[in-house]
Amino acid sequence: MPSLQARDRAMTGIPIGSTVAPTEVERPETHQVAVPEMPWLVIVWNDPINLMTYVTYVFQKLFGYSREKAHKLMLDVHYKGRAVVSSGPKERAELDVARLHQHGLWATMEHSG
Amino acid sequence: MRLGAEERALLTVLPGHLVSLLEGVGDTPPADLPGALRRLLPPAYTTDPDAERAYVSMTRQDLVEHHRESLETMSVTANATWLDDEQIVAWLAALNDLRLALGSILGVTEDEVEVPMVHTHQAEWITYLYLGSLQSELIDVLERTLPDPVPGADDLVPEDHWGEPPGGLRWDGTPQPRHR
Repeated sequence: MPSLQARDRAMTGIPIGSTVAPTEVERPETHQVAVPEMPWLVIVWNDPINLMTYVTYVFQKLFGYSREKAHKLMLDVHYKGRAVVSSGPKERAELDVARLHQHGLWATMEHSG
Repeated sequence: MRLGAEERALLTVLPGHLVSLLEGVGDTPPADLPGALRRLLPPAYTTDPDAERAYVSMTRQDLVEHHRESLETMSVTANATWLDDEQIVAWLAALNDLRLALGSILGVTEDEVEVPMVHTHQAEWITYLYLGSLQSELIDVLERTLPDPVPGADDLVPEDHWGEPPGGLRWDGTPQPRHR
């Protein structure tokens, strides 16, 4: 299993915006705005076959979530039909989807926003 | 492990059927796979065919191999008196794979938890439910072997941006079943 620390590193937050220093009154003409890439969302869909206890177990095992969090996500999947279980850059999301697929869960990914 | 001779015979033979189904799937898109395999080899992208093709070509071989290894492990250890940790994990995966395949064939829906009184696939239904009960027992064992949660991991789950129940469709366009 890939290390969760590596996962954490990949999940850095998105900067909300840069604060312009008060002394800087003129903007450069070719102002480069660092547009943060919107993360991809990994979604697990409800399905009638996977056991609820199994889904909870897989969330704990793959993502290191607490039992309570994993259980809540499982209930979201079950009652809302889907739940976002992780997010991050495309490569990270694809890896999570592939791991979920290896565990037989119904996972897809989509771009947030 | 206390299993009857008939159970062990079933767990020896059943995985082989699924392994042979998995042979030669290549990069067939999920939608074109036989029903029994669709849940085992699901799509990652549902609205972007190009991305999905790339995903399949990147992951399919590993995924098939993962299923095959688990199924074969269960088959060859079905008569064992005890299993090591790795074999228990393989059994869990194999049981889940078999249930996904059988459940897809049977068209299992949310509320069916008992063998229907009149059904043409009674034996398959009984097998499906039996595999589920065995899987439940394994989950009880494996839950106790999980490492401690990763500190802070819970906080990384993004907020559910759909909010309350969408009540809409599954990713494949079928209606989300209602709950009582």
